[in-house]
Amino acid sequence: MGGACSRKQERDSEDGLTRGLSRRYCKCGSLKWWTSSFSYPSVDFRIQKGECPSLLDLCIQKITEDIEKYDTFSMLPRDISQLIFNNLVYSRQLTIGSLEAFRDCALQDVYLGEYDDVNDNWMGVISSQGSSLLSVDLSGSDVTDFGLTYLKDCDSLISLNLNYCDQISDCGLECISGLSNLTSLSFRRNDSISAQGMSIFSGLVNLVKLDLERCPGIHGGLVHLRGLNKLESLNLKWCNCITDYDMKPLSELASLKSLEISSSKVTDFGISFLKGLLKLSLLNLEGCFVTAACLSSLAELPALSNLNLSRCNLSDNGCKKFSRLKNLKVLNLGFNVITDTCLFHLKGLTQLESLNLDSCKIGDEGLVNLAGHKQLKCLELSDTEVGSNGLHHLSGLSSLQKINLSFTMVSDSGLRKLCGLSSLKSLNLDAYQITDAGLANLTSLTGLTDLDLFGARITDIGTNYLRKFKDLKSLEICGGRLTDAGVKNIRELSSLVCLNLSQNSDLTDKTLELISGVTGLISLNVSNSRITNAGLQHLKTLKNLRSLTLESCKVTANDIKKLKSIYLPNLLSFRPG
Amino acid sequence: MRKEDTVKLISAEGFEFVVDKEAAMVSQTIHNMLTSPGSFAERQHGEVTFPEISTTILEKICQYFYWHLQFASGKETEFPIEPELTLELMMAANYLHT
Repeated sequence: MGGACSRKQERDSEDGLTRGLSRRYCKCGSLKWWTSSFSYPSVDFRIQKGECPSLLDLCIQKITEDIEKYDTFSMLPRDISQLIFNNLVYSRQLTIGSLEAFRDCALQDVYLGEYDDVNDNWMGVISSQGSSLLSVDLSGSDVTDFGLTYLKDCDSLISLNLNYCDQISDCGLECISGLSNLTSLSFRRNDSISAQGMSIFSGLVNLVKLDLERCPGIHGGLVHLRGLNKLESLNLKWCNCITDYDMKPLSELASLKSLEISSSKVTDFGISFLKGLLKLSLLNLEGCFVTAACLSSLAELPALSNLNLSRCNLSDNGCKKFSRLKNLKVLNLGFNVITDTCLFHLKGLTQLESLNLDSCKIGDEGLVNLAGHKQLKCLELSDTEVGSNGLHHLSGLSSLQKINLSFTMVSDSGLRKLCGLSSLKSLNLDAYQITDAGLANLTSLTGLTDLDLFGARITDIGTNYLRKFKDLKSLEICGGRLTDAGVKNIRELSSLVCLNLSQNSDLTDKTLELISGVTGLISLNVSNSRITNAGLQHLKTLKNLRSLTLESCKVTANDIKKLKSIYLPNLLSFRPG
Repeated sequence: MRKEDTVKLISAEGFEFVVDKEAAMVSQTIHNMLTSPGSFAERQHGEVTFPEISTTILEKICQYFYWHLQFASGKETEFPIEPELTLELMMAANYLHT
């Protein structure tokens, strides 16, 4: 018996930051911090209301409840003990005591990233999984160099995640030097790893992905990566010790597809070492000391499709060379001192799907150069001098799904030029001059899922137009002019997942009553309103709620805690709290 | 109950449980046994033997089948599981895709 269980593997799950929550819901400020501080193991089952739980699910649930009654699971088939383990981690019931039952269970995955109280004492049971163990995440734990000695014999390990483990140093690296099956290794924010310790990387010949983000002591260590000819992804973001000298050894990494060196000290000279990387498709140079002169080197990268040059102090000077980067699909030029002159040189980059011009000195005339970019899906124009006349040039971009016009000069009447963009899903109109009249011009955009009207002057009248946006998942209206009457229209948006109505100081408990039927809500913010403890009872029905923000209301942390403990088990983050 | 609408599930000890086919088919494994053309023995006789599932566990599983049908028809009650059965029951549930 056994072995019939299927187990989903997420081998290359990006960085685990948004596990359990789709990336698109991370936009609201209130959600940002907690999606980056929690991670969950992938759980293979979930008991949901209305859906009949399988007998297997019920048994796992039962075991989780009575976990202290079990001494060992080692007689179970591995897939089943893995399910029990995952569920214990997911429900935060696993302790050093209950962990003991998993000794010698041949588990394949141990995802304990950001899990409380994990330390060296957990390592014995983890290592007892022996050569079955494939994937381990101990991010944010107190595991030390000594703890890593336990992993020496887990020679099948292919993925090891030790982000934010500040007690691990070069000595710990020594312990994993024999794990030559590793394909993915991550040591984010480690102050102790040095060039010397990195010498063990030369033996990890199967590495495909290496993440050393925010490691300040690794200057000079990249020479040890030279022979890693399978390495495809290297993350060195915010390693401000990295210089041009460190780029030279990378020139031999022929498989490299993704290189992130944002906020390093790399200059144009360092970039010239990358010229031979024929497979390099993603290059992140955000905040580096590079100029347009590096574009000559970049033009020699035939696979380059995704380039981030934001915050690089680029000027129009030399921007002509952008016209050579014809394969670019994603280009970020945000926060540079570039003008419409530079946009002229982007005219031929018709493969572009995403262009970020946040806070650049561009205006209406420059946008004429984008009129032919029929592939463009995402356009960021926040904090630019773009106004209504510029939108005219964008009216034919039929693929456009996302546009950010916050803090631009765009007026209510100018928005009419957007009404033909039928692919549009995400629209940011966080700008003071936008009013109800502007919304009235957008009612044809029925596919909208995200609408940000944070600082726009929307009143109850304007909310009537919102009813056209039936697919809306995320909505922000924080201009201070809404009353409970306007919320009546908002409650009809049954697909809503994120709702931010903060700063509307006239909203009362009635608002909570009105939205109690929007049961899909995951995040709700009604800060700076007249909501009181008495209104909280209306939130009982919002079982999916994970984030609740009611700052500057007559609501106490204790009352929210009570609500959470009885009715809202999924609530992870709440304010006040 | 017509014979062709039922199926006989036989435990390791030889105990026989006659249950509605509809209920037994809650198990994906039994469903496949009774419908796939390859396994005609089970199909012809409407009998499935489980040499690795004890009587106690098989009885519990049959209860689950009916509980599942009730749940599907809108009656959402709790399904009780005795702690001492859990591990064995889970292995059987895994085998039966239930």
